[in-house]
Amino acid sequence: MRRTRRLFHLDPLSRQLARREMRDELAFHVEERIAQLTALGMTPDEARAEAIRRLGQTWDEAERHLGDSAKLKERRLNVRERLREFGDDIRYAVRGLAARPGFTAIAVLTLGIGIGANTAIYSAVDALLLRSLPFPEPGRLLDIVQTSGADGDAPWSYPKYAFFRDAQRSYASLALHRTTQTILTGTDPERVLTEEVTTQYLSALGLRVAQGGDFPLELDSGPGARRVAIISDALWQRRFNGDPGVVGKSLSLNNEPWEIIGVLSPGFRGISGRAEALVNLSARSAEGLNEPWSMEFSLIGRLRDSVTVAQAVTEAELIGPRIYEAFPAAGGGLTTSKAPEKWTAAARPLDAIRVASGLRRSLLVLFGAVAMVLLIACVNLANLLVARAVARKQEIAVRLALGAGRARLVRLLVMESLVLALCGGVASLLVAFVGTRVLSTINPQETLRVQGLEGGIGAIGFEGIRLDASALAFTFIVTVAVGLLFGLAPALGATRPSLVADLKDGSSGSGTGRRIGASRRALVVAEVALALVLLAGSGLMIRSLGRLLSVDPGFDARDVLTLRLSIPQGVLAPDSMPGFYEQLLSEIRGVPGVAEVALADCPPLSASCNGTIMTRADQPRSATGNAMVGVHWVSANWFGTMRIPLKRGRMFSEADRLGGPKVVLINEAAARQYFAGEDPVGKRVAVYQGGFHTGAEIIGIVGDVRFGTIDSTARPDTYISYAQSRQPRMMVFARTTGDPSAMAPAVRGAVRRIAPQAPVFDIRSMPARVVMASAQTRLSAVLLGFFAAVALSLAVMGIYGVLSFAVAQRTGEIGIRVALGAERGRVIALILKDGVRLALVGLTIGLLAALALTRVLRSMLFEVTTTDPLTYVGMASVLGLAVIAASWIPARRAARVDPVIALRKG
Amino acid sequence: MADSPPLLKGTLDVLVLKALSWGPMHGFEIVGWLEQRSSGSVDVDDGALYYALHRMEERGLIESEWRLTGNNRKARYYRMRAAGRAHLKSEGASLERYARALADILALRPS
Repeated sequence: MRRTRRLFHLDPLSRQLARREMRDELAFHVEERIAQLTALGMTPDEARAEAIRRLGQTWDEAERHLGDSAKLKERRLNVRERLREFGDDIRYAVRGLAARPGFTAIAVLTLGIGIGANTAIYSAVDALLLRSLPFPEPGRLLDIVQTSGADGDAPWSYPKYAFFRDAQRSYASLALHRTTQTILTGTDPERVLTEEVTTQYLSALGLRVAQGGDFPLELDSGPGARRVAIISDALWQRRFNGDPGVVGKSLSLNNEPWEIIGVLSPGFRGISGRAEALVNLSARSAEGLNEPWSMEFSLIGRLRDSVTVAQAVTEAELIGPRIYEAFPAAGGGLTTSKAPEKWTAAARPLDAIRVASGLRRSLLVLFGAVAMVLLIACVNLANLLVARAVARKQEIAVRLALGAGRARLVRLLVMESLVLALCGGVASLLVAFVGTRVLSTINPQETLRVQGLEGGIGAIGFEGIRLDASALAFTFIVTVAVGLLFGLAPALGATRPSLVADLKDGSSGSGTGRRIGASRRALVVAEVALALVLLAGSGLMIRSLGRLLSVDPGFDARDVLTLRLSIPQGVLAPDSMPGFYEQLLSEIRGVPGVAEVALADCPPLSASCNGTIMTRADQPRSATGNAMVGVHWVSANWFGTMRIPLKRGRMFSEADRLGGPKVVLINEAAARQYFAGEDPVGKRVAVYQGGFHTGAEIIGIVGDVRFGTIDSTARPDTYISYAQSRQPRMMVFARTTGDPSAMAPAVRGAVRRIAPQAPVFDIRSMPARVVMASAQTRLSAVLLGFFAAVALSLAVMGIYGVLSFAVAQRTGEIGIRVALGAERGRVIALILKDGVRLALVGLTIGLLAALALTRVLRSMLFEVTTTDPLTYVGMASVLGLAVIAASWIPARRAARVDPVIALRKG
Repeated sequence: MADSPPLLKGTLDVLVLKALSWGPMHGFEIVGWLEQRSSGSVDVDDGALYYALHRMEERGLIESEWRLTGNNRKARYYRMRAAGRAHLKSEGASLERYARALADILALRPS
């Protein structure tokens, strides 16, 4: 039996048996020996020690001698033994760390910040870029757009959607959706977001209602269908107190009754993430739905089981051109500037458009930056540990000589760095917790839009940023990786088996000392290089921010308070609107502290203003083509209130009102574009909005105002007097004598007195809007700046550490130099030269790396190139000076070396 | 162990086989037997003993089985096999010759 077993090599079971037998045998032997020795008068402890000594050095070694390599492997699997060793290692590590509280505190702090920042940014990356969409089988969901190579993507009109729907074979369900602002009318009017959708919206997303039913399919049969709504769980709780009989009740939106047919489940608030109700878009009138050239709706589809994404993409490309054959001419010819023949359709995974590409880029840049900070922190800790290992090299050499295995020693040393890393990991949770909290409370929808980063799915937002299991797993993995990263190299270096020299002489001038010195120098060079990359990146962002802040937006934002009100349909007769607004203005003007009040329909720097085609009346339409202008409804005093200068001609006057000759003001950009070299004042133009397509006279030219993002120059704009054209959504601009935000309640009160049924929203001071317009750049600059500052201080610490150590090592040599008459200045120069050399190598490498890496910032920068020489020279000088400062202290210490003491010591 | 001479290579195997030629023994008995018969001048490293036992078992010189000792404890008893007896005969003889030669040489005195 045994023979056969041997013949076929021991199978695992019998090998285990052999192992156990061997252990039992040894245990029996040791017990017998102990009994014998105690009988001879030894104490049990002495007897046990002696019995084991006779087996060899240790039990372990005895077993190792006896076991073949297969058995050795099994020994490693012995859990109890391993745990005991593990416990020993941890105790040793903790003792070692506790003995050096200063070092430990710095290391834990550095790691805490480094890992915490990484976790926080990772949480954002996870929530915004990685986490799967909150719908079943998100990979089967596609977003379908109209697209043209030159003009980008555009949403759908209902007729074109219907064509696509009937032509396609790929989708199990298709749905249009559009997010709109609606007023929830009733006792306490409230402005809410709703989504107009087609009936298959929920089934396309793979969702069901929590109560009631889904939209019945027959609603899609044509325009003018009955009005039904599915409300959000939040709205159900808030407005209906969770009434179980809410289905069948009526919801008043824009003063129209909508029948509630269902309630959504708590987690879901539409693709926008903020909708309070879903309503059927088929409730629109035929005019509202059947305009083929409107571009209003987004389209999603869920694939049939048998269809691949690639097939659906191809199908969309094939159907696209047919749609434009079916709708050859722009309907009214006026709502689009796009030439139809270039257009087609494109399908892409919904996941691909989850966030705007600019946001994706910013996040990844930040992720890269924090990773770099962590890398520097690791380099620094590796540096400190190398120094420690050098200090302990005698201890290590003794242990090696006594027969401790190198693997065991490396494990011991790595355990120390792992314990350190885990402490840092725990500390980092605090940083990460605060970081994720801050990130998740950023209300980015508005911020992103005014930065031109709008887009993506609203349901994927910053609110999703949290410290969840995935973030904790990330923290743990990073922590362990970091512990190994900065622990393994020094441990391997320190236990290199050639330390006989170290045993013989503990002096630091030996070959090993120099080798470790070289590796520390390399680490410092790496640190300086990494720090320069971060400094350069943050420098570029800060320069950008500076440029942004010095942009003249074309108006004076100081002391201006803005607020919006929306007047529900039917509350005011359209023609009485100018009168209503005049009444409103005089009421607000009466509020103490308000100096001037004006109206405009859209605030500057909001990137959400309205525009249309404008043509010159004295030229054929083809001369100006389909050039667009922004169209703004303003009160006559808006320019004065906002301190926007009149360049030529005259402002609006009392006479420019409904029924009078139609007049417009244009800005300088429009004057340049439409009337290059001519005087526009007195010329006539057609503006295809507000009833001005029949022609209007240009009465004056005003200064350019940035209505878009702050980093884009003003586009051509035209202004219409609100007194001459109805516009139900006006914004109030009040110039105050004090802090505008403090005036908000009083102004809101004045509005309520005049229009209790019109909800007031979007109250914000104009300076706050300006700040918001650069918020994303500011956030990037602040975060990158912070990371760069951490990197800089770490690099300085690294240099200081290495040079201090070098000075300590060379005390003897310096003593001799001083004894031989070297001047203090020479000694200082000697050490400084060392530091400067390290810095120069690091700076050169860092400069090259920065030039290569900062290119990813290009699209995030404003009026600064990624090779901006000032930034590079500036940041390199900052870093260089910091390094010299860090070298100065050890250099001074070297100069003060007392030759007598130094020589005696050496 | 420190005050007794180290065993020559190959010696331990022969000594163990010799002990087992008296009958089956467990490891601790073998140690005791050797110490007793040599009046303490042969001091076997315990670890080395078990190493030798396991090696010889692998080579088929001896075999082992678990049995109860006199005071009812389980111990692994080793027993000589035929190959072991042959090994003891040849190796024992050559060791004896070697020891005699060594003794003769050491007895020489310079003349």
